[in-house]
Amino acid sequence: MAKISFFSVAFKNLKRKTFRTGVLVFAIALLVSLLIFAISFTVSVASSLKKSSQRLGADLVVVPVGARGFAEEFLLESKNTSFYMPFSIIEKVKKIEGIDTMTHHTYLSSISGLCCDIVPTRIVAFNPATDFIINPWLQKSLGRPLQLGEAIAGAGTSENLGLGLLDIEATIFDNRFKIVGELEKTGTGLDHALFMTEENLNNIIESGKSPLKKGEISIIFTKLKKGFDPDFVGRVLEGEIPEVDVVARSGMGEKFLNTLADINKIFLLTTVLASVLTTFLVWAIFSAIANERSKEIGIMRALGAKESHIVKLYLIEVLVLGLLGSIIGVLAGTYLSALLAGSFSLLKNISAGLTVGQQAAIALVGLFIGTAICVAGAMMPINRIKKMEPLLVIKEE
Amino acid sequence: MSFLHIENLSKTYTVDDSTFVGVDNISLSINRGEFLSIVGHSGSGKTTLVSLIGGILKPTAGRVLLEGVDICTLDDDKLSEYRAQRIGFMFQFASLLPILTARENVLLPGIFSPDTKTDNAKVARDLLEMVGIGEKLDSYPSQLSGGQQRRVAIARALLNNPDIILADEPTGDLDEDTEAEIMHLFEEINKKKGVTIILITHNLELAGKAQKKLRMTKGQLVGI
Repeated sequence: MAKISFFSVAFKNLKRKTFRTGVLVFAIALLVSLLIFAISFTVSVASSLKKSSQRLGADLVVVPVGARGFAEEFLLESKNTSFYMPFSIIEKVKKIEGIDTMTHHTYLSSISGLCCDIVPTRIVAFNPATDFIINPWLQKSLGRPLQLGEAIAGAGTSENLGLGLLDIEATIFDNRFKIVGELEKTGTGLDHALFMTEENLNNIIESGKSPLKKGEISIIFTKLKKGFDPDFVGRVLEGEIPEVDVVARSGMGEKFLNTLADINKIFLLTTVLASVLTTFLVWAIFSAIANERSKEIGIMRALGAKESHIVKLYLIEVLVLGLLGSIIGVLAGTYLSALLAGSFSLLKNISAGLTVGQQAAIALVGLFIGTAICVAGAMMPINRIKKMEPLLVIKEE
Repeated sequence: MSFLHIENLSKTYTVDDSTFVGVDNISLSINRGEFLSIVGHSGSGKTTLVSLIGGILKPTAGRVLLEGVDICTLDDDKLSEYRAQRIGFMFQFASLLPILTARENVLLPGIFSPDTKTDNAKVARDLLEMVGIGEKLDSYPSQLSGGQQRRVAIARALLNNPDIILADEPTGDLDEDTEAEIMHLFEEINKKKGVTIILITHNLELAGKAQKKLRMTKGQLVGI
């Protein structure tokens, strides 16, 4: 190399003890990957819950009293649950002040046996005339309403049903259905359901093979008039109609969020401990470097290096270490998150996933924190290095 | 006024409760281009004196004036600039950075100097040629002999075209032949480049080659 610079000297310094450099990079990478995993997990779950409740598009969800948990399990976790209330509840809900529009769903689980030739699947029956949840999805995927004898699969159901081959036919409670396609992924628990109109459901009920009785519905989704507070209307609804429980949009997934808050505490504690340990490791290694290179620093000071030059030289080393470790940590953390996503039922059940924007933001946070911890750990030794009296360190030789 | 004027310069060190005198009220004037040697026993204060002149040590009392400017009043940044631009240091040990090649070691003071116009790469090559190790440009210090390392250090001291070279026992651990070669280099640099050289040595014979010879005892100059 014909020329030298602060960068080239810093790089040569890093290369002179590759094992030590490797240990530091590894420690930072471990910390950042833990951080990335923790943030990805938390953000993924929280944003997925938010997205799911927004996708449903309802201000209030009305379910039979005591079925709030089951409803959340069905809508967010894709769990096979059944809960019913009389159709007449719709009329009662309609009378509550602030209710603008409403639609209802009836949920049914198909069973294995002679009546059904598909794997057990959740069936969602909706009213196309009032629906504001399924209709927009249907319009996007199929471009037309569902007809009698037709069903459409949610994005997560198609694989189970063997819908690589579209237009297959299935028997559900002795009724033949043509499965005409699949909906796009919505990120809600409804992704794992098979959709049909109420008219079809009536035929199923009439077959007498399903446990469902005529005049029963599972859930009512309501939109409120402008200016009405969902929590307030929800309280009024529960007061006026004791047979129902009400979940406001903001309260959807409360159970998850409470679990998430506890998991977050564990993540926070682990990450803080790992950060302290990494900071201490960086401090210890840079203290050793300060002692080891004190003579060289004295020589450089005698050759005209300012305190700021010494800081710059070591800061470049620290930044390279921090950035390198953080980049590896970001990649490893992202890979780990994707790899382990399937192992966490919380993530699997709620169809959690991160957008590219969210992943980029989390990566930037990881890069910043990893590098900042590295710099923080090294600052004290660097300050000591720059204050060294040149003659004293040269004479120590 | 002389080029370098030292006025009532003193330096005392305090270790625990004891005080040691390194330099004791020294006054001295040195002209530009002069070759001065200072001899004395270990602990007589020679290194302390050149360190004070080089601005890597602050005096307890007195002044060091270079062309009328008291370097003792300069702040750390200005003092660093003074060392980078006007002083060339040579130490009594191999002072090359082991991670840098001979050429890179010579170039090192350049990154601390605000002068970015000079083509330091060419200057470094010329300097290494001048000190006789032009073929060792890309050798690391561990691949060089003691004498070659001293030559690199001389080239490094000359990179920023300094006014003064402060050489603190630069031939201390070298054999006689190499010692003579290094001394010859100093004489040439002094004559051809007009650089003021202050050489500290134990060796009376080497000291005798300087234009002016001083002796230090217990922090004081004697025998001027």
